[in-house]
Amino acid sequence: MTAVEAVDVLIIGGGATGAGIVRDLARRGLRCLLVEKADFGTGTSGRYHGLLHSGGRYVAEDAAAAVECIAENIILRRIAPACIEDTGGWFVSTPDDPEDYADGFAAACVACVVPVDEVPVAELLRREPALNPQIRRAFRVPDASLEPWQLIEANVADARAHGSEVRPYHRVVAMERVGDEIATVDVVDERSGTVTRIAPRAVVSASGAWAGIVARMAGVELAMSPGKGTMLIFNQRMTDTVVNRCHPPDDGDIMVPVHSVAILGTTEVTIDDPDDYGIGRDEVELLMEEGTKLFPDLRRMRLLRAYAGVRPLYQRDPPPASADDPSGVGRGISRSHVVLDHGAPDGVDNFVSIVGGKLTTYRLMAEETADVVCAKLGVTERCTTADEVLPDQGDGRTYWLGHRLAEHEAEGGGDADLICECEMVTRSALDGFLDERWPCSLDDVRRGTRLGMGPCQGGFCTFRAAGVIAERASASLPPEAVDRILLDFLAERYRGTRPIAWGRQLQELWLVAGLYTGVLGIGALADGAGEVDEPLAAAQPGAADHAVV
Amino acid sequence: MPSSDVVVVGAGLAGMTAAIALADAGARVDVVARGHAATHWMSGGLDVAAPRGSVSSANGLARLASYPGHPYAFLHRDVRPAIDWLRAILATEGLTFAGDLDQPLRTVPTSIGATRRASLLPTAQAGALEPWKPDERLVVCGIAGFKDFWPGAIAASLERPWVWGGTTDAGDRRSPAAVEALVVELPGIAGRRNLTALHLARVFDDPAWRVEAFGVIAAALRRRGPGPGRIALPAVLGLADHGAAFDDAVRALPLIPFEVPLISPSVPGLRLFEALRAGLRRRGGRISVGEEVVRVETAGRRVTAVVAAAAARDRVFRTSGVVLATGGIAGGGLIGRADGTLVEPLLGLPVENPGAGEWLAPDPFDPAGHRLEAAGIRTDAALHPVDGRGRVAFANVAIAGSLLAGQRYLTERCGDGVAVASGRRAAAIFALEGARPPTERVKAGAGA
Repeated sequence: MTAVEAVDVLIIGGGATGAGIVRDLARRGLRCLLVEKADFGTGTSGRYHGLLHSGGRYVAEDAAAAVECIAENIILRRIAPACIEDTGGWFVSTPDDPEDYADGFAAACVACVVPVDEVPVAELLRREPALNPQIRRAFRVPDASLEPWQLIEANVADARAHGSEVRPYHRVVAMERVGDEIATVDVVDERSGTVTRIAPRAVVSASGAWAGIVARMAGVELAMSPGKGTMLIFNQRMTDTVVNRCHPPDDGDIMVPVHSVAILGTTEVTIDDPDDYGIGRDEVELLMEEGTKLFPDLRRMRLLRAYAGVRPLYQRDPPPASADDPSGVGRGISRSHVVLDHGAPDGVDNFVSIVGGKLTTYRLMAEETADVVCAKLGVTERCTTADEVLPDQGDGRTYWLGHRLAEHEAEGGGDADLICECEMVTRSALDGFLDERWPCSLDDVRRGTRLGMGPCQGGFCTFRAAGVIAERASASLPPEAVDRILLDFLAERYRGTRPIAWGRQLQELWLVAGLYTGVLGIGALADGAGEVDEPLAAAQPGAADHAVV
Repeated sequence: MPSSDVVVVGAGLAGMTAAIALADAGARVDVVARGHAATHWMSGGLDVAAPRGSVSSANGLARLASYPGHPYAFLHRDVRPAIDWLRAILATEGLTFAGDLDQPLRTVPTSIGATRRASLLPTAQAGALEPWKPDERLVVCGIAGFKDFWPGAIAASLERPWVWGGTTDAGDRRSPAAVEALVVELPGIAGRRNLTALHLARVFDDPAWRVEAFGVIAAALRRRGPGPGRIALPAVLGLADHGAAFDDAVRALPLIPFEVPLISPSVPGLRLFEALRAGLRRRGGRISVGEEVVRVETAGRRVTAVVAAAAARDRVFRTSGVVLATGGIAGGGLIGRADGTLVEPLLGLPVENPGAGEWLAPDPFDPAGHRLEAAGIRTDAALHPVDGRGRVAFANVAIAGSLLAGQRYLTERCGDGVAVASGRRAAAIFALEGARPPTERVKAGAGA
């Protein structure tokens, strides 16, 4: 370790909230550094269903959250239009939903200033014919879909333009307290192993479900209740509009069209460790069963993958356990956010955590957090993030589905090099990302470009993208590193397919496995030792595996 | 009166082999298939048996034959004559192969700069099968604008001897002395982007163009200096006129050329399919690709008709026998269900599935493979499907190819050997049993 780097504010966590905070503080004239242990948006921000809430989801149970959502919804449409597809949303009453909930829904929306229209069911079914014809009532609300990675990139770009710095793949490993303050924070570069010592005037933890782990380094106890939510991705938009069940929030009650796919969310399972969770077949089955109530033909549609995110749930005073929810946590916990000033109660004056909340309100969360930090540092500048449009928002129109195709056509159509056919990622789009972000993984490329997110789940684009990377970086990149890039991405894509490996997607998985093992010989690279001269006993499955069952 | 003696469902290697053998024996045969099969995405070589640790295909075959429940347990004696027979038929159609089951399996380079083991390859790929002499280099030659073959990346990877399997027991290296990359701009397509293998293959079918193209490559090689070696090219050297195109390459290039198979659509696989189809038609067989068989009609334990969804209406093939060669999971012959079970959708045959209800292995390329790989239809030695108690489910149905239970075509590299041996045996069984049943049974079936 060499010099100590002095900054005004160190922000820990490169999700939407952290990105929002670094933008907000940078615009108020503070010199900030944001560190993220992996790539931007690899935690909860990049692992949600893609919904920009209208607030409709919360009008009945959590009016304050609903009011926040609609206010931020309107702001984000103005400041981040390129990150939003204005799908609109429905709340629909299926025969499985309580009638009285629908009776009170419109009035509750009005009370929370969430725009709402009840529409005849015939009109709903005309617009979205795949929906359950047994639906009894339908309400239209201004839900939309929100692209998290683009949103984070735009916030980060604005922070940079205002003199702050962001570092992905930098993990906080230690904090040193002197008296009532965090004096220094040690950050390791996960790629080079270099440790840097940061001396910040203030520290903000925007680490979401990981906030408890970060706080502990400063000697502060912060009890998070990470809540795992599992989602399923279908390879088609069976709806062009967000569809919610008109009932109290529950598992599997929302479908969000996102780019060329649709995402069914979510489950709610409280977990201990935000870094260690799996997806259960029971969760997948539950989602399918509930989703079928919205879309009766759902089981005939092709699933692409399953994934899970971890909600940063926090509750200061947990309620007593009930019969429904023995842990006393889960859906009962507010989705609202809390800014925790660790000064008075915890004795660390220059440390603030932001916990709870949702992507839709990331900007408000950032503003409230920044206000607390500025008060501590004696900064009187006002927040400007609600008024100033983010960088790279085009002509101010929202994103539309034909966007990629239009870009592709502009680049020469059939003669433009398509690296990923499913998501129309061209060679120039890939090169552009690599120019800016190299060194990076293909998973980072995926978040930046959607490479590998279509039906073949990377089967056809992975080796092309690895080829492009290898040729660009041939002088600096040993072939072992290219092997890793290839194998890691194929493994990452496979991970999400594994829980839903049936029907067409199992067939696709088999095709890709056949190509990579049979034609491309990936086993020779995976072994790291060629394929020949394997000891027989270790390599060969026993005859018992072949016994007639 | 049946319109076919035998209907073959599926146009992959197994189905086509069965159909050719049946037509060869004088049967009226129809191949009906939903679409093209594994031929169109595999390497175009014939993988007979290359489980880990085997030194030759013959050695691998003997090992797999010792596994109870493996198709080779009852098919292994058929493999060698069936492969020889098929090679002769393909050669007549202009597609020749090199290598055999007894020579050592050798590591040949792939288009991601890895290697795979092979002993029986089309002539155009066979240049990779010869052992490398100590002073031989390899030039990996790509075509500018072609996105499925990255010579720089391939060459960098292949420079590592361990990728080729290190050295032999005798201490000889399995790899070339040096590997270098070359990219050429070919006439008429320079500056083009998004070229596909099929597009390039069709360009190479033009004799005048390819002479010019090989001239460009030869000039680039000469600029690299003299010395013995070989040149690896993407497998795009012609489709309809491939034999002549490859001969032109051999004549024009100063190094020994060989093709490296690519991600699908596989041009070598297309050539294989075209040769099989020509062999079938030469023998009077008929083939309809793009007509999915949607149901069958049965009478007792016999299938009497196969019904395919054609363009405007269902097409009914009355038949005395059926070869079911619809493939495994990849081909759609087995369909996975959400509960982890597999079904055979056409006849509803019982599926033997050692991995039923389990998830796949956590590692996509687990060297031990996925248990589900071995799933399939259990048969008797005559390839008739049997139920869990060993009773024949359909007496005039034979199963061929990757639908057969007990094989692991990914980890054992045995799919082509199983396909050819079982396809030919299915045909022989029908000839032996007499595919035509007594007339009265056909009548009974016609009313079903």
